[in-house]
Amino acid sequence: MPGLLKPNKRKQAMTMKNNNTSLALKNSVLTVIAQQRLFLTGLGIVILAGTLAALLPPLVLEQIVNQLTLRQAVGVGPALAYFLFLALAGILESLQTVMIARTGQKITRQVRQDLCAKLDTLPAAYFTREDAGKTVSLFVNDVDALSSLFDNGVLNMAADSLKVIGVLVMIFTRSLGLGFLLIVITPLLFALTRHFQKRMLQAQKTNRAAIAQVNHLVPETLNCLRMIRSLNKQERMEDRYDQHLQTSYQSLEKANFYDSVYSPIIVFSSSAVVAVMMILATLSGGWRSLFGMSVGSAVAVTAYVSKIFTPLENIGMEIENIQSAVAGIQRIEAFFRQPQRNLPEATLTLSALPTGEPALALNHVTFGYEKEETVLHDCSFCVRQGETVTLAGRTGAGKSTIFKLILGLYSPQQGSVTIFGAPADQISDRQKRRLFGYVEQTLRPASGTVGDQISLFDETITADQIAHAVRLVGLDSVIAQLPQGMATPWDPALFSQGQLQLLAIARAVAADPRILLLDEITANLDSGTESLVMEALRRASANRTVISISHRLYQQNRNGRLISI
Amino acid sequence: MIRKSNRERRPDRLSTYFYQERHVLAGITLTGILYNAGLTAGPYFEGQLTLCLMAVLAGEKSGIDMIKLAAVYLTVILIVQGARCLKRFGVRRFANDTARSMRRVLYRNLVYQNPAVLSADEAGSLMTKAISDVDACAEGMRKFTTEVFDTGVVMIAYLGMLMAYDLRLTLLACVFAPLAALLAQKLKHPITRSASAYKNSVSQLNTMTLDRVSNALTYRVFGCENQRDQALGDQLAVVEKNAVVSSAWENAMQPLYNIIAMAGVVFVLLRGAQNVLGVGWAAWDLAAFTTYLACFSRLALKSSHAAKLFNAVQKAKVSWQRIQPQLQPVEIPDSTLPPTAGPAELKLEDLSFAYPHQPPLFEHVSFQVHTGQIIGITGPLACGKSTLGRLLLGELPYAGSLRINGLEIAQLNSAQISHLVGYLGHAPQLLSDTIEENIQLGEDLDCAPWLKLTALEEEVAAMPEGLKTQIGAQGTRLSGGQQARLALARTLARPRPVWVLDDPFSAVDPATEDEILRNLRELGKDRIILLISHRLTHFAQFDQVLWLENGTARIADPATMMAENPAYARLVKTQQKKAGDDDEK
Repeated sequence: MPGLLKPNKRKQAMTMKNNNTSLALKNSVLTVIAQQRLFLTGLGIVILAGTLAALLPPLVLEQIVNQLTLRQAVGVGPALAYFLFLALAGILESLQTVMIARTGQKITRQVRQDLCAKLDTLPAAYFTREDAGKTVSLFVNDVDALSSLFDNGVLNMAADSLKVIGVLVMIFTRSLGLGFLLIVITPLLFALTRHFQKRMLQAQKTNRAAIAQVNHLVPETLNCLRMIRSLNKQERMEDRYDQHLQTSYQSLEKANFYDSVYSPIIVFSSSAVVAVMMILATLSGGWRSLFGMSVGSAVAVTAYVSKIFTPLENIGMEIENIQSAVAGIQRIEAFFRQPQRNLPEATLTLSALPTGEPALALNHVTFGYEKEETVLHDCSFCVRQGETVTLAGRTGAGKSTIFKLILGLYSPQQGSVTIFGAPADQISDRQKRRLFGYVEQTLRPASGTVGDQISLFDETITADQIAHAVRLVGLDSVIAQLPQGMATPWDPALFSQGQLQLLAIARAVAADPRILLLDEITANLDSGTESLVMEALRRASANRTVISISHRLYQQNRNGRLISI
Repeated sequence: MIRKSNRERRPDRLSTYFYQERHVLAGITLTGILYNAGLTAGPYFEGQLTLCLMAVLAGEKSGIDMIKLAAVYLTVILIVQGARCLKRFGVRRFANDTARSMRRVLYRNLVYQNPAVLSADEAGSLMTKAISDVDACAEGMRKFTTEVFDTGVVMIAYLGMLMAYDLRLTLLACVFAPLAALLAQKLKHPITRSASAYKNSVSQLNTMTLDRVSNALTYRVFGCENQRDQALGDQLAVVEKNAVVSSAWENAMQPLYNIIAMAGVVFVLLRGAQNVLGVGWAAWDLAAFTTYLACFSRLALKSSHAAKLFNAVQKAKVSWQRIQPQLQPVEIPDSTLPPTAGPAELKLEDLSFAYPHQPPLFEHVSFQVHTGQIIGITGPLACGKSTLGRLLLGELPYAGSLRINGLEIAQLNSAQISHLVGYLGHAPQLLSDTIEENIQLGEDLDCAPWLKLTALEEEVAAMPEGLKTQIGAQGTRLSGGQQARLALARTLARPRPVWVLDDPFSAVDPATEDEILRNLRELGKDRIILLISHRLTHFAQFDQVLWLENGTARIADPATMMAENPAYARLVKTQQKKAGDDDEK
């Protein structure tokens, strides 16, 4: 019997309107840009100033060398200026890095917050259909990729492009011919850079896949350990492992080759440019006007040439970052486009519920997760206030589905499900806890303390209410013995299987709900603990409407009514 | 080949891995020294080129001189960069080799583990962790090797060159470099602290995100979704703050070190200029000036990175300490069995067993089984019937005697036992590979007869790829019944004196079970089959039934057991009734 919240591969076929357009990736990013307008302007200024500052030291050096060529003394002024410009460039550069990182973080935070808001609006079917790990990966990895699109991608690329342009401009002002030469060479070197980067990333990708295969063999081996040992197949397994290991080894060798060769090629190219420049500078006649330069300029240009390659390499990586972020962005956008559930309006209040109505009424309900495949067909029954009923029926008859309808997670295709006369799917989430106490086959632990398991972080539930719930299920002495009592960090090993169920009951009754919904709650318990749970349940059921799914429960609750589904 | 070399040396010592790679490391040392010493050639020749340009402009030299010098310059750079290329590749090959060796040793440690021990002390998860640590460790060793040259050797080379140009100026200008290194060491603490604060807040955020998503419906039913979103929002704010602080510490400090180390450049420019003009501590030409300046700048940059060397050592050490305990030498068991004669025989005498810190599971069990018998073993839940089966695998220590063909199980190693006992547990333990490989496991076996015996023949033939069908992780592309029968085929393909089959038919339908059991009877004529099950449908056909309850064992033929053991009789009858009910449906 599947539990109510257990993942369920069936698709929710109900049509959902996508009426909330404010949640979209574009809007999240635009919000940040609007909020941070001043900061982003500041960032622009810092980038510009940093680029300029980095161009100045070679100019000072040019001055000094030219003075020395003329055998003039060098004053403290230029020497200090050289150092100060270097220092300034360094400071601005790191300021730029921090500011860019902050921008990326702002965007990350906003997008994650909006993704969270989107979670609230998703229909229950989404959570049963999609693997939680996939959604978490969207929140974590894809958003990280998105933020790197901005910080390691667009923004740094702008800064690096500015650097390349700055250096080219400076070289043009020193030597027109060399400038033209570099204009031709730069794109070639950039193409080479991209070629190497692509090859390298491809090899790295192959390696990652192979390593994943290699690592995958470990849990497989753990699973098959008894077979391996009893058939004496250790060597065979080692050979299998080696095969995958070899694939990974070879692809890594390939990546390493590109990695090793690239940087030396770039350094050699840069040296070649310097060598050609020096030779051209010695040419006389008409060439002079194109390539001629002073000794100081030659020193300065040598310094500039070495500055052009780092940003060029960075730009290549930044393109790569942008490209790899695209897939993540598409996934985020698809998530934002997920159809929404019909959010109940919060107008319905508990006190306004008519008192004379039955606690639960199903009126000719037809429902299926897929349109063609109905689970419930024209199902009607009624539960009076304070009544105890048990839903019985074979596996797949739709008992748990009825709970889902009662909890308003799904809406019936035909007919109505009403709670105290109000349509179940119109009751807002905030009110549910005062209406329903829901216990499943096993406790679904939340990450937090022992107390958080009961309150589920609901701030409106007081410490007194928690203590009362714990006493009611008889767990007070067990929890008092824990090292930090209620504040003990959650660890499933702290409790036995039966105590976990008692906690689940405490969680359900903490807000004093009117209806208890029990879904096969003793299915996983042995008979000793079962009686403990039944006793707690008896106390918890007082003055409440109780609807349960369980054969065993019915046998021990002879006073209750049996409804066959 | 590598398997052997690892066997002889000590895989739990770091030196083993360096020793294995001694040829690569020798190459790295050679090219590393050549490259790093040659690094000074760049600034030197660039200075000479400048000097030559000055001479040409002054009309003292011709353009041909410049071409010659440029050619020499490029040749030297080519050699130096070639050495660099080799060094880089060598260092990476070293890391790659080491990671591969470590993975092999770890895997060997894993594959020779006793499954009973492994499940008991969570060694499995430790092992899984260790394997993911291998990359970090190899990367640490690579960085360490790299930094030894790129920071250590290169700094010495630069310093030597600077001192050769002007000793006094070098001492003066380099006063600031140790200052920068000192500051870097001092500020390491807040940097690592802010970085770990950031990492912790991120991992907490990820935990919260996982909790939020996986418990989404629980929170919805309890009306707590908004409150969880708020908590997550608060954590997001903490993460953002920590990220910016950590980035500020990390990025703001590096240029600061650079600036401090570079402060000496003011002296270099002033005194250097005086040197050129002939009024300084040394007599320089313009080339010396530019060379010195370039070398000094690079040295300053390197010295501010010196902390990297220490960090790399630190990181490698930490990851090594994590994996070292898992890198134990493994003794490969010798599978030769002492010779035995006669037909198969299984003999238990006064056998007792208890899990550690628990009351005995069973005590003083004695019985004897002969060739050709099929024994059904059953009893209530948790009576120890599966454990009894596993005792025959030699996984667990026992008291008393347990002999197959006169050989005491406790005195045999796993390889020897594998010749005596064929075992199939309730988990089919299939590999993510083809059907063929799952049966053959590298042996030259014909799969067809075994598939026929387990009634799989037609089903496999119907698959588009037949024997070459990939069955997926843990065999998930097959049905539960197919998985069980494939695992059975794998066991039956290896004739052993004793077969222990623990609940092999739980996922197999009754008709197929009948067919397989008939085949088993035929096959079991010259061996002993122990069939452990809680489904008693076929127990009536077996030679003996062993009933385990409350730590004691009773063995009898099925009819006697039925007559004299009310608990057994009740179980049989309930199952017959249930089967009847099922038939009605």
